Amino acid sequence: MSAHQHAEGHLPHELEKATLEGRNKILGFWIFLGAEVVLFGTLFGSYIALRHQVLDGPPPEHLFQLPMVFLMTLILLTSSLFSVFAVQAMHRQKVKVLIGWLIGTVLLGLSFLGLEIYEFVHYVHEGHKVSASAFGTSFYTLVGFHGAHVAFGVLWISLLTFQLFYKKLDTIMAPKIYISMLYWHFIDVVWVFIFTVVYLMGKVG
Amino acid sequence: MAGNQTVTNEAKHHKLEGPQKHIIVYILSLALTIIAFAAVAAGGLGDTFTYTILVIMAIIQAFSQMAFWMHMKDRGHLFPTIAIISGVVVAFLMVVLAIYWCWW
Repeated sequence: MSAHQHAEGHLPHELEKATLEGRNKILGFWIFLGAEVVLFGTLFGSYIALRHQVLDGPPPEHLFQLPMVFLMTLILLTSSLFSVFAVQAMHRQKVKVLIGWLIGTVLLGLSFLGLEIYEFVHYVHEGHKVSASAFGTSFYTLVGFHGAHVAFGVLWISLLTFQLFYKKLDTIMAPKIYISMLYWHFIDVVWVFIFTVVYLMGKVG
Repeated sequence: MAGNQTVTNEAKHHKLEGPQKHIIVYILSLALTIIAFAAVAAGGLGDTFTYTILVIMAIIQAFSQMAFWMHMKDRGHLFPTIAIISGVVVAFLMVVLAIYWCWW
């Protein structure tokens, strides 16, 4: 940190890295993300290995609808961009702008969840259930686990947004925001592999 | 003038990063996604070729988002990079093992 360049009484731009505690929290979160990569790796592995075991259920190429998946991808990608802007607003100490981007991120996350629930209900009506086949089990475990991550992220970011209304944006608050935004980007990166491996490769056959 | 020059350099060093790079990554991600969906929707490209396109598009997109949006390209991200690479190595082994276990 170039602390000497900041005038007396001014906070540094990267508030989340201003204290050792903040830096440690961010590092600890990265190690957690490394473990999350392994977790999703095991789920991807079991899905890829079992995806052809459809038994009597509908095969993936009849089940998946690309326009719907594309819309979900677009929503999550845009929300990830919103969280970049949220961190940039935080670096500029613009709390209202920060809250705006966070609410935007949460709303897009909620619409993603809504589409995913609609999608799952539709699949169950088509006979694609968790217990129907190994394809069903591994599909719902992988995609459902990602959906649970989105749901947790929405809850987490909503609570932080709520806190911003009555707490100062200081060296305690900034690492919390930064970490939740890292988490949200990570969810989007995992989705890139889900739409590629599950939906697009499922369509190819 | 020389004095002003120093101030400008100081200001440059201090400048907050703008949104430009991130919007470029967004447009790039969008383009890569559209290419991947179009390759599947068009069909008739051959399975191996389509799979190759899909994997390359996904890796470029994930890499650019992690480098710019998650700031992994920035200074002081050695340990985060080590954590993620360790995770990717184990995850890759998991995928290979699961496929090997079930298909052969």
